[in-house]
Amino acid sequence: MKVNRFEHKITILYTLIGGLWILFSDKILYSLIIDKAKLSDYQTYKGWFYVIITAIMLFFFIRRHLKKQRDSKIVLREHQNQLEDLVKVRTELLELNIKRLKETQAHLVQTEKMASLGILTAGVAHEINNPLNYIMGSYVGLLRHYKENTFSDYPEQVGKLIEAMKTGIDRSSAIVQGLNQFSRKSDSYDEDCNVNEIVENSLIMLHNLIKSQISIEKDYNDSDIIIKGNVGNLHQVFINILGNAIQAIKSEKGTISIKTEEKESEVLITIADTGVGIPKKDLKKVTDPFFTTKAPGEGTGLGLSITYNIINEHKGKLEFESEVGKGTTVRIVLPK
Amino acid sequence: MSDKIKIIYIDDEEMNVMLFQINFSVSYEVYTGYSGLEGLKLLEKYPDIKVVISDMSMPEMNGIEFIREAKEKYPEKKFYILTGYELTGEIQNAIKSGLIQKYFRKPFDMREIEREINKL
Repeated sequence: MKVNRFEHKITILYTLIGGLWILFSDKILYSLIIDKAKLSDYQTYKGWFYVIITAIMLFFFIRRHLKKQRDSKIVLREHQNQLEDLVKVRTELLELNIKRLKETQAHLVQTEKMASLGILTAGVAHEINNPLNYIMGSYVGLLRHYKENTFSDYPEQVGKLIEAMKTGIDRSSAIVQGLNQFSRKSDSYDEDCNVNEIVENSLIMLHNLIKSQISIEKDYNDSDIIIKGNVGNLHQVFINILGNAIQAIKSEKGTISIKTEEKESEVLITIADTGVGIPKKDLKKVTDPFFTTKAPGEGTGLGLSITYNIINEHKGKLEFESEVGKGTTVRIVLPK
Repeated sequence: MSDKIKIIYIDDEEMNVMLFQINFSVSYEVYTGYSGLEGLKLLEKYPDIKVVISDMSMPEMNGIEFIREAKEKYPEKKFYILTGYELTGEIQNAIKSGLIQKYFRKPFDMREIEREINKL
């Protein structure tokens, strides 16, 4: 920092020049001018001379100083512009990163959905093969009867064959409908969601994962429960929770009980399993993204995190209660 | 009636059992049951049964578990699986080890099954 400021400099210089002028100018004038009568005239010229010289000096001095200031202002402005540009670039980069992050997140959510869909495919294939088997059985029998009159003495057999075809078609179409509901893409949270039907659909899709030693106890609300929400997402919720319940049962025998209740202003769905349970230290973390107790490749750790988000978007609540060795109870509360 | 080949069909789905019964009764004498345990009882009751066809996924005892137990008692009988699933490792092993002759897919192919039985 310069202590020698401009105002000090100029004052000192002016005083110096003025003082020296006063001290020496008259002496010089006296020694040069012989005609003493004209002395007062010369003194006036000398005054003018002094004023002009100091004015010129002041002019250059101030100009020099201001130029410095102006230059630094320009540099400052350039610097500022550069800074602004930098901030702009950084902001754009950040926005791009946020956009990428959002895309990745959406991709992950979709991956999780596809992963659960992959698990379900085998189950659904089997589920559809069964009613197809009815239709095939019916076709084979009816074709033979048509060609050879096989069952002419047993008309009730023909009736059974026709009935079987209808059952087969109805069941396949119910399964396909269930699948469509799960995979349908809709952002609306204003769809009519039949809770019992969604739970039942989810069970159909999980059918092949439900091992023979697991018994499912259903205690559904007597009348249909219809809430406003997103049908596809609610399917994902129940497939995730029921899927976890199935995976938790590792011993010889186990039970999964499902209860749906309609209260005054809310709907309560309780899913309890008699599986391995969740340790206390893990219970708080189960809805954290990427938290998983499953082996790599078996779970993404996103299932319950997504479930939690979906329930949140429905303005509902998701509660877990668990005891190691006894099992886990999941309570889902959804507003009506 | 007695000159017909006797076969057992086990499936936990009533509709499948009924259709199998109607279709295969034309050419064979068919006994049916809804579980592996019922299958074992039928085998005990009708010793001249030649062929056993079983569904795979059933409660309590799956098709392979049932056949493993049955094959121990009746190694001369021919066993088959009829399943709606793709070929699983369990079924593959059962074919390799000679526990079952073959596996049929649902929806079933009547001619394929008849051809297999008539070979015997």
